[in-house]
Amino acid sequence: MNNNQLSKPATGNSKWTKPAIAAGVVVIIAILPLLLTSPYTLHIFILTFIYTIAAVSLRTIITSGQFPLAHGAFMGVGAYGAAMIAKWLGWSPWLTIPLGGLIAMGIGMLIGYPFARLRALYYAMGSLFFGMAIIYVIWAGGSWTGGYSGLTGIPPLFPIGTSKVPYYYFFLGLAVVSFLALYRFEFSRIGINLKAIAQSHLVASSVGINEALYRVLAVGVGCFFAGLAGAGYAHYTLVLSGATFSFMATLWLVMYVLIGGVNSFIGPIIGTFILVLIPEFARDLKIYVPFISAGILLIVVYIMPQGLVSLPQLIRSKFFERGKSEKVTNAP
Amino acid sequence: MLLEISGLTKYFGGLAAVSQFDMHVNEGEIAGLIGPNGAGKTTLFNLVTGVLRPTRGKVMFDGNDITNKKPHQVAKLGIGRTFQLNPLFANFTVLQNVSASFHLHPRSSLLDIYFNTATYRNNEAYILEQSLEILKLVGLDGVKEELAKNLPHGYQKMLGIARALAVKPKLLLLDEPIAGMNPDEIDFTMTGIRKTRQQGTTIVVVEHNMRIMDLCDRVVVINFGKKITEGLPKEVRENQEVIQAYFGGEHVA
Repeated sequence: MNNNQLSKPATGNSKWTKPAIAAGVVVIIAILPLLLTSPYTLHIFILTFIYTIAAVSLRTIITSGQFPLAHGAFMGVGAYGAAMIAKWLGWSPWLTIPLGGLIAMGIGMLIGYPFARLRALYYAMGSLFFGMAIIYVIWAGGSWTGGYSGLTGIPPLFPIGTSKVPYYYFFLGLAVVSFLALYRFEFSRIGINLKAIAQSHLVASSVGINEALYRVLAVGVGCFFAGLAGAGYAHYTLVLSGATFSFMATLWLVMYVLIGGVNSFIGPIIGTFILVLIPEFARDLKIYVPFISAGILLIVVYIMPQGLVSLPQLIRSKFFERGKSEKVTNAP
Repeated sequence: MLLEISGLTKYFGGLAAVSQFDMHVNEGEIAGLIGPNGAGKTTLFNLVTGVLRPTRGKVMFDGNDITNKKPHQVAKLGIGRTFQLNPLFANFTVLQNVSASFHLHPRSSLLDIYFNTATYRNNEAYILEQSLEILKLVGLDGVKEELAKNLPHGYQKMLGIARALAVKPKLLLLDEPIAGMNPDEIDFTMTGIRKTRQQGTTIVVVEHNMRIMDLCDRVVVINFGKKITEGLPKEVRENQEVIQAYFGGEHVA
């Protein structure tokens, strides 16, 4: 982890610079529906908001030194949990969306505890198979989950016939609130403890940090927001299929995080926007998306190990502060 | 008696890394635990601090049985330790290494931390003050903004001690604090350790470098997982078995 993100939002002229920029960006995005009225464009933005929540929450788990490969599946847990409760028990989507997050959190923590003993590759593999198992459970769920043919008839968040605009603002708001919650989590002593564990679990536990507790906490919080995003997705698309939350979905979330920059809070947000929006604006290229993404990933790995977030800094050091460029490139 | 180890045994497969080991540490002393490489010194520390579970035996600390406690529970009871390798949070600054190590005293609840309450802010202010004091004590206040991984070896080891002090330990276990150091670094570190003891901390120091004996009130010698002898540094230095273990009829270790 880059140290300057540890306790203070570094660089910038005053402590208000970053919040001001962030608020400015949110305002611009909030104005967009006035300019871009096409339902399809709004739809793409809505999906982007949903996936940024999942990507940012995935990174929260990664800061604790765990690399889970089940985050897409936990979106699925939230999505199916919320959809099924709303459909079969008739609960309001306004309740089932947070509930979807809580269900994902519960299952995440339950499985996170035994997994807290696993490290590195073993953790990744263990979570990978757990994620796949979740999808099989969904497929095996018969009429409860809709099985292979998918779950339909999910109650919508807003009355049927509502335009995309309320959804746009709902998910923008949900994303902003989620980011604020996760930002506070990361930049408090809780996040510092997680980063300490990631750097050396031996040293961290020798100063009294309960490693298992903190790792499970990180997984719980990460899964809550994945479930929240998934539950929102369910009450927006109204149709669910297990394939949406398969291993591929997880891999895309990992790509968003890696390409945007795993060491920076806004990295996954930038990564998601770029990887979702670029193919949409160049629609002829859509079938090449996996190739383009792989290409971007390679470029990022070789030139910007800190992810796309470091691009401005990289340009600055390459062209304006010659001789200082090693500062950017000797990433951990 | 602050620490009492009795009959401690640890098998790795069929090999006894530590066998029937007894040792005690009195309050306020610096006890040395010396022995050649591979003698079982670090294993012993790992057994005491809960990183490893003993096969047999018992460890009492300050009236508590800590035999099967986990590392964070042992830290909570007041044992701080350093590590031979991997001694710090490499990507934190020196100051952050120490302040991050203040997990226990004072301790903020998760809710206090998350909601940034007055309790949490006061605790953090206190931690910052204490961290700077510890850095001054061990002589690292001049490099507090450096990244830990960029420090010279001797400073890194000293930072390991500073980190362990943040636990406010009654007992401090130092694992090879002067290994691989040049004479200047050794002097720097030994001064730091002496100052730490003056603050009232009991210390057990593991080393294979015999120079450490200058610090110790009492020395225990271990080889092949067994205690060979114990006594005053002067006595141990002249003990035939120790000379055998160290020199073994061959060249100097």
